[in-house]
Amino acid sequence: MRSWRRNRETGLEAELRANRPEPSRELVHQLEARVRQDGRQARGGFRVAFVSAIAVGMLAALGSVGGFAYAATGVGDAVAKATRIVHVHGVTQVHKSAARDQYGKPKAKKCRKGTKRVKGKCRKVKKARGVNFRKPPFTG
Amino acid sequence: MFRVDPLANLEPLIRRVYSYVAYRVGDGPDAEDITSETFERALRYKKSYDASKGEPAAWLIGIARRCIEGRPLSHELSSEHLETADHRDLEDDALRRIALSGAVGRLEERDRELIALRYGADLTARQIADVLGAKTNTVEVALHRALGRLRAHLEGGDSAPVRKSQAGR
Repeated sequence: MRSWRRNRETGLEAELRANRPEPSRELVHQLEARVRQDGRQARGGFRVAFVSAIAVGMLAALGSVGGFAYAATGVGDAVAKATRIVHVHGVTQVHKSAARDQYGKPKAKKCRKGTKRVKGKCRKVKKARGVNFRKPPFTG
Repeated sequence: MFRVDPLANLEPLIRRVYSYVAYRVGDGPDAEDITSETFERALRYKKSYDASKGEPAAWLIGIARRCIEGRPLSHELSSEHLETADHRDLEDDALRRIALSGAVGRLEERDRELIALRYGADLTARQIADVLGAKTNTVEVALHRALGRLRAHLEGGDSAPVRKSQAGR
């Protein structure tokens, strides 16, 4: 026998609530996945906006206290140091070393009397004619 | 301004919307399609939700109502389902459920909507009044009458849809 006949005055509303049609599990999962996917997309956009806002805020704060000049100086120093470290030097010749001292200085050839070294070669020194410089007399 | 997400607690909302739609158009693929369409529209117009105007459930039911109105449906499907299922050796509660949904299906469109809003979507009389644009008292009286007619159908065991028999009035 149907139950609403037994308690028809009070039971019908409860029957309607208890026996209301339920969605299939697939439908619930499908709709949940759809909404979740949409939420993920929305959150992605929100994240980008949030990070942009933070960056703009930080730049504004830095700009207001002269942070850009400070940062530029810091960056310049860092670049200079990095350049000095990274710069490739040529082969370094050590001019004064123990090895060189071992053999002494190379002797330069002396020019013969009456010659003078001009551009690496010994040349005769021409005396200008008629020009005699007398020594000043010895005055004690 | 901080926005309230109307689809935050999703599963109960899906159940309420589906129950409402199924009471209106019958349990099955039509109800599933309309429920899916309702949530698609809800996602599209999520930003238009205003928490000060009502609960998310009422907002979704409003969308579902418009989905049902904009969709041609064969309401006789639920009656056919009832007749074929009646011959099977089903459990008592399953039989009761089928008979109940069949009786709801035989109600007039207006009565069925009230029953669906009250017992399917689980809205209060005041929320129903907001959705239908009527007074709360009017809704309560109409609901009481709808329940009386449903009871009469259940007791009478009348299989002919009331909508058709009352169309000539």
